[in-house]
Amino acid sequence: MNRVRDRNESAWLLPAGPGINHGLRDDMRRFGDNEEVDVVIVGCGAGGSTMAQRLARAGWSVVAMDAGPFWDPEKDWVSDEAGSHHLYWTEPRVIGGQDPVPLGSNNSGRGVGGSMIHYAGYVPRFHPSDFRIHSTDGVGADWPLEYKDLKNYYVDIEEELPVAGDNWPWGDPHSYPQRPHPVSGNGDMFLRGALACGVTAKVGPVAISNGRFGNRPHCIYRGFCLQGCKVNAKASPLITHIPDALAHGAEVRADSMVTRIEVDGHTGKATGVHYNLRGRERIQRARMVVVAGYSIETPRLLLNSTSTRFPEGLCNDFDLVGRYLMVQGAPQTAGRFDAEVRMWKGPPPEVSTEDFYETDPTKSYKRGFSIQTVSPLPITWAEHVAAQGHWGAGLRQYMSDYVHWSCLGALCEFLPLPENRVFLSDEKDRHGLPVAHFNYSRCENDRQLMSAAQSVMENILQAAGADEVITINRYAHLVGGARMGSDEHSGVVDGDCRSFAVPNLYIADGSVLPTEGSANPALTIMAIAARAADRMTTGSRAGQVRQS
Amino acid sequence: MSSLPLGSNAGGGRFPGFDVMAQSKHWDETTKAVVVSRLGMPPDIRFFDAAEEATATAVCDQLLDQREPTKVPVVNMVDARLAEDQTDGWHYEGMAPDGQSWRDSLAALDEDAMAHSGCSFADAAWEQQTAILQAVQDKGSEDWHGIPAARIWSLWTRYACTAFYSHPLAWEEIGFAGPAYPRGYKNMGVNRLESFEVTDAHPGQDPLGKGTS
Repeated sequence: MNRVRDRNESAWLLPAGPGINHGLRDDMRRFGDNEEVDVVIVGCGAGGSTMAQRLARAGWSVVAMDAGPFWDPEKDWVSDEAGSHHLYWTEPRVIGGQDPVPLGSNNSGRGVGGSMIHYAGYVPRFHPSDFRIHSTDGVGADWPLEYKDLKNYYVDIEEELPVAGDNWPWGDPHSYPQRPHPVSGNGDMFLRGALACGVTAKVGPVAISNGRFGNRPHCIYRGFCLQGCKVNAKASPLITHIPDALAHGAEVRADSMVTRIEVDGHTGKATGVHYNLRGRERIQRARMVVVAGYSIETPRLLLNSTSTRFPEGLCNDFDLVGRYLMVQGAPQTAGRFDAEVRMWKGPPPEVSTEDFYETDPTKSYKRGFSIQTVSPLPITWAEHVAAQGHWGAGLRQYMSDYVHWSCLGALCEFLPLPENRVFLSDEKDRHGLPVAHFNYSRCENDRQLMSAAQSVMENILQAAGADEVITINRYAHLVGGARMGSDEHSGVVDGDCRSFAVPNLYIADGSVLPTEGSANPALTIMAIAARAADRMTTGSRAGQVRQS
Repeated sequence: MSSLPLGSNAGGGRFPGFDVMAQSKHWDETTKAVVVSRLGMPPDIRFFDAAEEATATAVCDQLLDQREPTKVPVVNMVDARLAEDQTDGWHYEGMAPDGQSWRDSLAALDEDAMAHSGCSFADAAWEQQTAILQAVQDKGSEDWHGIPAARIWSLWTRYACTAFYSHPLAWEEIGFAGPAYPRGYKNMGVNRLESFEVTDAHPGQDPLGKGTS
């Protein structure tokens, strides 16, 4: 099958222009709780939705649950920053460690589409080196997969989103299905500065359609990508994979908070999930369970799923669940220009460089960082300015200068560390379940990368003509927490995303990543899920026979 | 709409005639309803008790330099979020969830004001309030009433700035036109404006005064 439409019809199932296919949702197949479905998927984000679409296409009966709503972009989302608070996972969570990482709007989505509803839209691939950093750099971990195992899935997903961008010279050089978008003032400043200081910068790669794709319209460059795309131009599973899953008989069960995975004490196999829908405890039986709740909720669900066989939490025989969680160091550096940049006009994701991605043997640190345009809206920009210590009249004056600023962000590859982890807090949520406690502390390599990335961003902005630069240190993206490994002592799941401890339990989300690279994770999460689905459907349907 | 009382030498008056709401006819109905609601009667105070309301009002006025009459009802907007438990989705280990942290920190400010000025924070003179807040900010990562000062500072500024910079009056002060759907933008690029955008009348008014004009 060569044409995208032949393998994923989502973009053609949407109405022409913005909006959703109400008929497809109203007529959705619905399963009874006592009906044993082939698979229940927990979480409808990047991993879970891709999995649902692939498995439904293969003829499996699928129930995909999500704790949040089944969004209707026209009615539920606004072109406004403060009014978009409901896009984030804001159930209680506790953060600690030496460098506590804010959650919520920073990195945690909810509802069908997951964090890809509010992600910027950058979808770079990982580099081939990312899969072997322990072997080549002596840090982090090697994956049980290689780049070549994912490559075809990267290509497939890039066509399905679809991705627009320049020919990509970094990592495994490749091109994109769509031409690069025109750039706004912020992207222009990045390109000017990069050219002036000898850094290669390219437009893209962004999962924002440059031209009509199926019935999805062209981007209108309104700049509110992080508030959910009302246009249907920016890709998220809500529009790229869920429609096709529904058309192939999957059920999406929204507003359903899965509280525990049930495991049969005799067979050691998963039998379904307990979930809460509108206040009522229910059970969905299934032959296989796929967990895709992302790096905080996936470990939390496993840890909350205790039994006689798994007293420390499901799949946690070797104390790996919740550990090796990573964020990317994401300092943002802004530069002030006499010209008007008006960085909020146009999509925040425009231009990036991966010149600093790989280990530079002349430096004291390992691995590297990428740099991208970020373009904060007023509230986020106020946070950037307030981080410089400004408040009161000083803050207002600084803010009145907004039109003159350009802003870049880095993604620094932090290393996986066992103490950076999720565990259960004493605090309970409204379901009576212990909430996640997330500890984070940087290592020396992490700190050096952030400082190096800041210097490069300052150089680029100054080379473009900025007469002042200001930086806010922050963190972005979550991965790890239930990582894949070559055996049960190094990972919770294998390279096919199947858990070592429970043969019919899979994890297919960002939590399986053993390292994070300097790339935004969405594309890689989708590619891993697509590959895992492929392996599942070509293997035993019952999931009992381990493929070698 | 009238502009905020920011002096013309301090960031005010940079976008003369810029009127955000004049463009609201081009916004989608869902977005318009959300933004227009911020211009109507502010939500009643439900979370703060009377003493907390007084202190919180003074803190919010200070953080955003809003003098009487207050144009953006920041304290009502903060209170509404706390009443609805609309948090950012996390709180620090060893620190109470946001609502309780607001209550505790407001009480602590009153203690400081009593020690510093012999009255509640709200009753202290503007300059005294400024000095008390500056002392909190200056503590940085050191403890203030048992909590790292920077974390309390972040709590206050996050809630206050989110409220203030969601308001069309604040957008007019910074040249931001607000919602852009379904129209989008046609003129992207350095120094390229839409017909409804207004050029900065004081481009040299850069915070460090290094501008050329």
